[in-house]
Amino acid sequence: MDEEFNWLEYSESIEAAAEESEVVSDRRGLRRFLPRRPSLPSLPRLARPRLPSLGLPSFRRSASAPDQPSATDLLGGQAERPLDDLDERLRALRDRSALASQPPPPAHQALYDVDEILTGPELQSKPGGVISAGALSRAQQQQVEMLRDIVGGPGETGGSGGRSLRSLSAFSLSAVPRLLGTALLLLAVALPFVSSDYAEGELPPSVFPEDRHSPRTMYDLLDNLTRDDYVLVAFEYGPTAAGELDLLADLLLRHIFAQRAKPVIVSSNPIAIARARNIIRGINRSQPIAEAQLLHGEDYFVLRYLPGGALGLRELNENFADIARFSAKGLPTGLNFASLEEMTEIVLIAESAEDVRNWVEQVVSADEALRLLVATGYAAQPLAQAYADSMDKVTGPLVGIRDAFTYGEKLQTTFGGLVPVEAPVEPEVELVDANVASESQAEFPPATVSPVAVVPATALPQPTATAPPTVTPPPTATPLPTDTPVPTATEATILVVEVTSERNVNIRLGPTTVHEIVGLGYKGDMFVVIGSNGDGSWYNILLPGGVEAWIAAFLVEERVVTATEFAGARDSASTGGPAERAVLQVDFGFRLGKTGPRFYQAQPPATGDRPALALSRDRSGEISRLQAMTLGTLAAVLLIVFGNTIYAVRGLLRWRDGRGR
Amino acid sequence: MGRGQRFGTALSAFVAFVIGIITALSLLLGDNPALFGNQPGSDQLAGLLAVPADVLLRLVVIVLALSIVIGIANLLYVHVGRLSRGKLTSAVVLVSFGFTIYWYVARQGDASLLEAVQVPIESALAALLALSLLHGGSRVLSKRADIWGLLFVAVAVVVLLASLPLAELAPVQAWRDWLMRVPVGAGARALLLGIALGTVVTGLRALLGQDRSVRG
Repeated sequence: MDEEFNWLEYSESIEAAAEESEVVSDRRGLRRFLPRRPSLPSLPRLARPRLPSLGLPSFRRSASAPDQPSATDLLGGQAERPLDDLDERLRALRDRSALASQPPPPAHQALYDVDEILTGPELQSKPGGVISAGALSRAQQQQVEMLRDIVGGPGETGGSGGRSLRSLSAFSLSAVPRLLGTALLLLAVALPFVSSDYAEGELPPSVFPEDRHSPRTMYDLLDNLTRDDYVLVAFEYGPTAAGELDLLADLLLRHIFAQRAKPVIVSSNPIAIARARNIIRGINRSQPIAEAQLLHGEDYFVLRYLPGGALGLRELNENFADIARFSAKGLPTGLNFASLEEMTEIVLIAESAEDVRNWVEQVVSADEALRLLVATGYAAQPLAQAYADSMDKVTGPLVGIRDAFTYGEKLQTTFGGLVPVEAPVEPEVELVDANVASESQAEFPPATVSPVAVVPATALPQPTATAPPTVTPPPTATPLPTDTPVPTATEATILVVEVTSERNVNIRLGPTTVHEIVGLGYKGDMFVVIGSNGDGSWYNILLPGGVEAWIAAFLVEERVVTATEFAGARDSASTGGPAERAVLQVDFGFRLGKTGPRFYQAQPPATGDRPALALSRDRSGEISRLQAMTLGTLAAVLLIVFGNTIYAVRGLLRWRDGRGR
Repeated sequence: MGRGQRFGTALSAFVAFVIGIITALSLLLGDNPALFGNQPGSDQLAGLLAVPADVLLRLVVIVLALSIVIGIANLLYVHVGRLSRGKLTSAVVLVSFGFTIYWYVARQGDASLLEAVQVPIESALAALLALSLLHGGSRVLSKRADIWGLLFVAVAVVVLLASLPLAELAPVQAWRDWLMRVPVGAGARALLLGIALGTVVTGLRALLGQDRSVRG
């Protein structure tokens, strides 16, 4: 770090050197930069300012001399000395001094309040080193000039610059275009909140378009969360971006809560932690039942602030176990993770491209097993999209309010997609001939739903070597569990599929991945088969609520079970322990518990259920905001086109007049 | 610069160089037993090599956290000093500072002030920025009526128009998609490359002593 430059001592040294120069001919060190016959002796001697005894540190006292000419001004006033004699640092200092002594820009080109900071002598005259970050280089000065030229035009503010804002008397007709433009924009933004008659354009789609795979994948990944999964949610946005990202953050949290997973919230922005807490409070307020309130330490966790920007994120990656032990209030969380890899997913809600870059570089790239789901604002979209296109482990991005609306619609579809019924409906089965059933299992008719695959027990493979060959494996190869009732000769059996995939399986409305997901299947789940598609790659299944759905064949295995076995498995699900029954009570369209064969339940959600959190948001404001965005953007385009057209025509006319002369 | 200062500078540059090399080696070799093959004890060796970077990282983060406390203290010093000189705006800062802390502590972590004050104010400032940008956008050709000014306006108009949810603008949306995919994507990647190269160069300058920001 550069040593601190003390202006007072420096000016004193100039005076002392001037006096000394008359009697000392040997010029060494810094003295060789001083003029041989200085014109400075007549300058007043600078005294250290006397500040009240407020306990200020010495460097502040020495740096505060507001009423005295600065050393920069003194140095800048030396014109008789050849510049080449000065070393580089002093030349730069002189240049800055010259800039500081320049007259202020014309008042009509001033940027309100900004100019005082950008062109003030306090910044311009400071030397290099750490504090030089506050000074502007020549290139930056040129950029400021260009910005000033663009924003403030001649006479636009009535010739009084910043003072025109403070005095209405300075108003002039030249400010009319700006005022009209502002009024038009405000009117366009405000009208949709007043009446829906001014709505223009279409609302965002209820599903993500086909060409946007990443947001669809992001939704599905969160939809595959199961109970007690931990999801790291990074809140990296402040109040400035709250209007753009709050809705997205709210929906992502609701989705995670509805899956009964547990978000673990971190941030390198202390204010963002407070924002996250407030959003969760808002979700809690939407729950009228006190028992369903989300509790810190049980349903979600807010970890401590990560200082140091990129370094803080690096520490999160390296020392997650330690960081997860304490909450934002410094209290123990009870979390005992070994590493970030124990997080099922990592969701980043970021305001700036810098945040996205830091998370990708410092957190995700350092560990092969981690994956990042990104939600950003429009400003960070290009960089986030570049990462998502280039790296498999980055998914997304969800961008701004429009994607938030689509996400909310999809959430609504998922949680409200199943038709509620009063009680589970038994699947209607039909006894058919065994041979017919075998044929139907072996070869499903193309593009049509196969007959119900229920066979009489007499046709079932018995646990003997003489069983007739069927598609289902013989019991000798897959003996039934000993605690499962053995089929009797009079008991009907049902063809079911059992989920064999270790991961959660999507159940969809149709036999393609394009169709909507209506639920999830977990390993061990059984579903009644009522048919398949043409090539047998999808099974048409029947959910207990009477809803038909489809499941991919490679994720399941056919089984023939008895009605008793089928019902017994369902009974075991519905008569589990207290915790399981609690899950039964709150689950809606989702599996019941985690172990054993489970069945989908189409019960209506009870009041206060957590899945209802996904549905309880107030959507009235969202539509008005979207329509305001549309009208506001339209007004902005009109103003830009209209204004630039006028200036372009004016420029052409001037160019023609110039040629005419 | 005296001899003592030169020695201090050399010493601090040397310390920075040594610490930087140790950290870089620790990050490269630590927790990576594959580098040492399947030799017995490679796990322990890789773990040991990761320790310096881990310790230094924690130290740096603690120092950075402490700097925030120092920053707050400095803020108070500055505004108390200004207040003593009659600057009443500093009184607003100090009273707001104290009241916010009192509110947060007395109401057990209630951050409603954030919602009621800071979010509206910052959102309003962002809205004012939008107005300024719009006004600037409508005057681009007033000061720069050349091909670059026209290109700037054209791209801005295409991107804004494409964001409108109007079916009639499907061709414009296709242009916008191309813009985002090709030029903007290329620019974003170039930006990332530039940042990476700049980081490497800055690190090398610090290690080689060219960057004097480490000087004590």
